[in-house]
Amino acid sequence: MRRQLTHEFQNLIDRSRDRQLRLAVTGLSRAGKTAFLTSLVNQLRHAGIDARLDLLKSAREERLLGAQRVSQPDLGVPRFPYDEAMTSLKSTPPHWPEPTRGISELRLQLRYKTRRARGLLGDTATLTLDLIDYPGEWLLDLPLLEHDFLSWSQAQLESMGPERQRYARTWQDAVATHTADETVDESRLAELAEHYAASLRQAREAGFSHLQPGRFLLPGDLQGAPVLQFFPLPGVTEKDRQTLEALPASSLYQTLKKRFRFYQQHVVKPFYREHFRRFDRQIVLVDVLGALNAGSERFEDLSRALMTLMRSFDYGKRSLLNRLFSPRIDRLAIAATKADHVTPDQHANLVTLLESLLAEPIKDLRYADVPVRAFSLASIQATETREVESDGRRQPALRGHGLDGEPLLVYPGDVPTRLPEPEFWQRQGFAFTAFRPPPFTPAALPHIRMDAALEWLMGDKLR
Amino acid sequence: MSDPRPGQRFTFDEPPTPADDVSLNGAQVYAPTQASDPYSADDDSPALDAAIEPPRKRRWGLLAIFGGTLALGTIEAAQSLYTSALGGDWLSGAWSMLGLLAVGLAAKALAGEVWRLRQLRRHARLRQQLDDEWIDDTDNARTDPATLADELRSQMGLSRDHPHWQSFLRAHQAHHTAHETRELIAHHILAPRDRAARRLVTRMSGETAVMVAVSPLTLVDMSLMAWRNIAMLDRIAALYGLQLGYASRLKLFREVLRNMAFAGASEMVTDAGMDLLSMNLAAKLSSRAGQGLGAGLLTARLGLRAMRTTRPIAFEPGEQPRLADLRREVWQQLRRLDDTAEKG
Repeated sequence: MRRQLTHEFQNLIDRSRDRQLRLAVTGLSRAGKTAFLTSLVNQLRHAGIDARLDLLKSAREERLLGAQRVSQPDLGVPRFPYDEAMTSLKSTPPHWPEPTRGISELRLQLRYKTRRARGLLGDTATLTLDLIDYPGEWLLDLPLLEHDFLSWSQAQLESMGPERQRYARTWQDAVATHTADETVDESRLAELAEHYAASLRQAREAGFSHLQPGRFLLPGDLQGAPVLQFFPLPGVTEKDRQTLEALPASSLYQTLKKRFRFYQQHVVKPFYREHFRRFDRQIVLVDVLGALNAGSERFEDLSRALMTLMRSFDYGKRSLLNRLFSPRIDRLAIAATKADHVTPDQHANLVTLLESLLAEPIKDLRYADVPVRAFSLASIQATETREVESDGRRQPALRGHGLDGEPLLVYPGDVPTRLPEPEFWQRQGFAFTAFRPPPFTPAALPHIRMDAALEWLMGDKLR
Repeated sequence: MSDPRPGQRFTFDEPPTPADDVSLNGAQVYAPTQASDPYSADDDSPALDAAIEPPRKRRWGLLAIFGGTLALGTIEAAQSLYTSALGGDWLSGAWSMLGLLAVGLAAKALAGEVWRLRQLRRHARLRQQLDDEWIDDTDNARTDPATLADELRSQMGLSRDHPHWQSFLRAHQAHHTAHETRELIAHHILAPRDRAARRLVTRMSGETAVMVAVSPLTLVDMSLMAWRNIAMLDRIAALYGLQLGYASRLKLFREVLRNMAFAGASEMVTDAGMDLLSMNLAAKLSSRAGQGLGAGLLTARLGLRAMRTTRPIAFEPGEQPRLADLRREVWQQLRRLDDTAEKG
């Protein structure tokens, strides 16, 4: 108890001196959060030695002395598996780190020389950086807090496009045999919920991202618990609210509603309260290329998912008071990851496309006067840019290894500056190839624009 | 007494005349396939810029006189050399040889001037291009940033093996955008030169202040100051890779002065206010010190302006050297002078 209090107090002092930064690394599943965090730790560990961080001002001026992992504040949360991730990158052949299956934390301490000596305090200073990794699936539960069961059911069924509905067919047929007021026994409920979960899993396999509730995809320690046995009820509308609320407690509607509320209160809220409320900076990672590969319906699905997601964070200007007691995100980076999967001349297009994908949240952020910048980055650069001569003109190309180890030299194609018509996918579509990580060298991991993103996110703290 | 008059209704004899001076265009329908250009509204800012710009003068007359003199002088000297060679008059032959030599030297000097002027113009053009592409719109660079960087390198007269260029090359990567390239150029190539230029300006302005404070003659002050200022301008330009000739120096000097004259009003007010204040303070020491400080500050301002004018990439808002920093240093120089004077 005393220990914890001291800890809290130390945190408070650090925060008041603005020497602590909580960085939210946000991204849906497979957006590259783990790779980003691994690369971030790696770059900062190698800063000043062999990391290429030329766009990070403090590193360019050779003031950044390095970083160390220190013990995290919350000892109940697993540590971010940096070493495991590095091992998978080091293995031959190298492979990408395993997808995250649970929450983990990481605290980094950065030491740097201040630009001007600070009198008695000497000229070195430290900055504590708190990072959290978590499964992207769970992130989509945050918007759930805005809903009650009825409005959630409606929103879920409305947002299903024709392709999504194909996966949900079995579940819909099964649930159609019941009405909201009948009593359904436990095993049938479990069966229906399993149908729903299966439809979510199939949709994820097919590249959809706006999938709620997230624990259905990755239950963690809740596997098989009744709290995960609910689903949206088709055919209910706001008009029926009165009649539905009057149904007996054993009715299907009331049972589902109870479980939904329980899920909100005991699964989502603690997750939100413990990990998501207090952030100072945020980077939103988006796998734009993957969404382009998947098709127009999935692309819009992603856009919708990101829009609802970003409503769950607090944005706004900081002052001393709210820095201490209710931190807000006062600066934001949005990043199109896997930029190494296209040639450098397409990066500008990638950024424009990302901006159009996030157009709605960006408007809100502008209104809140929170600076936003879009980047195209690759946490771990898997390819090398070359130039080939084809049809008598020189053209950039990428060299690397495919996921199956086959050596590739490709021009992956142009990136559009805005979303093409749905017909385009039927006509041509996109086929951005996936690459495996580069062969390991003891030097820092190669990257694209990690340094620029770091400068934007914490450059002002490293003065 | 007559009855009250009953109401009366008037009729319009003729319909009200339509305001026939207003004519409205009717709708017009074009075939959707007809070629059309993007609509462009008239932009008045170029006109405004052009009005503020100094009128561009082509000194054709001056060039004609110089060129004519040179050409005629050559013919004259050649002719007299020919006749003296025929007549065996060696002395006049030697004179005409000398004349030819003089004409040749003059032509060389003129060519040099013209070349340096052109160099200055090229510098300005590159600067404009870098401004347009590297600052305004980060993602819409028309030219490859690496190509522009190389052009800048050759304009600044750096060899490919120069350590600054090499360190830039090591830092620069193919995927860097124009804005990022600009940042790296500013750090690796311009920052050392900025530092040197700032040191130079500090030293020069301090020395000017002291010199004016101790010099006994006003006329000497003035000529000393002018000479030192021009020398400073020369060296700042050389730092950023500009070799100045007579005409180009004059041109650059005029440019710097014009920039100073048309500096933003707010900047001038703060600067001038602080200048006055410190001059008053200095005048408390002695009136000569006040004058010295004034002269030193003028030199400093000229130096900073020259840096801004000749630097190939405009300063970022935060990184620009400020007069306030220099003021303190000039002031300290004078204080030191005063202290030694009191002790002595």
